[in-house]
Amino acid sequence: MADPRPTEDLIARLAAEAVPVRPLAPPLLRSAIWLGAALVLLATIVLVMGPRPDLADHLSRIDVLVPWLASITTGVLATVAAFHLTLPDRGEAWRLVPLPTLALWLLALGASCYSDWLRLGPDGLALGTSFMCLATIVLTSIPLSGLLYAMVRHGASIRPWATALTGALAVASLASAALDLFHGLSAAVMVLVWHLGSVALVVLVFGAIGRHRFARPVAAHV
Amino acid sequence: MTDPVSREGLDRRWAQLMAAGQSGDRGAYAALLGELLPYLRRFAGRQLRAPEEIEDAVQDILLSLHQARRTYDPTRPFRPWLATIARRRIADRLQLLGRRSVRESELVLDDETLWGEVPNTEENVFRRRDVAAAVASLPQGQRQAIELLKVQGWSLKEASTMTGMSTTALKVATHRAVKSLRKRLGGGHG
Repeated sequence: MADPRPTEDLIARLAAEAVPVRPLAPPLLRSAIWLGAALVLLATIVLVMGPRPDLADHLSRIDVLVPWLASITTGVLATVAAFHLTLPDRGEAWRLVPLPTLALWLLALGASCYSDWLRLGPDGLALGTSFMCLATIVLTSIPLSGLLYAMVRHGASIRPWATALTGALAVASLASAALDLFHGLSAAVMVLVWHLGSVALVVLVFGAIGRHRFARPVAAHV
Repeated sequence: MTDPVSREGLDRRWAQLMAAGQSGDRGAYAALLGELLPYLRRFAGRQLRAPEEIEDAVQDILLSLHQARRTYDPTRPFRPWLATIARRRIADRLQLLGRRSVRESELVLDDETLWGEVPNTEENVFRRRDVAAAVASLPQGQRQAIELLKVQGWSLKEASTMTGMSTTALKVATHRAVKSLRKRLGGGHG
């Protein structure tokens, strides 16, 4: 297809509509603002739902504390990564930043499952259903994702998949960490399957939706 | 061009022009885009062959640069910022070309199985030429709208920036163009 207008015309047009714009605030500051808003929202949810009665004892267990801290750190690092990934002059490696703590989270939950199994035998790995986890993580992720999208969309659409997936990971990890504070799952295998399963679902679904939102359409369909 | 001093000097100059452009200095912004043009054509020319594809890719890059200009931090080097946008848009263009060639070959294979009032004979091979002729005969505004939105896949907003037409005017032009193409090509269905 021949060029519809010379590129020089496009330049003239772009220059003519170049209204003043304010450069975006530094990505760390934008991440902090979003994390602050997420903290307020999640704290409200925890307070409304009522923290679990054994919260202090629960978090004093190392096999609970380590995956919980890993989930929060994953959420924070994924947030920072998502904001950096929309800036063209920041490296691709930002997509890898949340992976070590994500791996630690998985390993710690896996180790808890193993210790449940050693302690209780096959009963320790009995898997029930907890749609409450799924519903809470998905429903909490909706407003958090909306807010994150509202902030991240000011960036450049250059890495739609990486931005959407790290953003969804941020949202789901923090939702899961908040859920830990008011929902009393004791078996590690339940946490592993239902929390991480919900996180994986949110990452895939919200990631796929976000990928389309962050992408710039180029496809030609006649 | 390989002299590191002049490269740094050029980067500083582009960074300053971009910062001025962000502040609304249209002259500086036009100067920047004009200076980038040969650089971007060379950049795109490394991966794309056809001159019109190179030009399309350069336009993609310029539009993306314009849309993303808030993401440039004037305290940082300009070239890495520009290079990421350019690489991304060229990759998009290569992907689009790949999809287009797959679709075109599928269409050739499927020609004989398409439903139609007229028998699916080899006459249909000429149909694409009829479509091209019908598009060419459209009034200028309608033709431009069809080419930008339906053939090249630009978004309404981008096509509006390129043509100066409002998005509503583009929608109306596309609607009318499709209607008149249907009429002209004799297909009441589809």
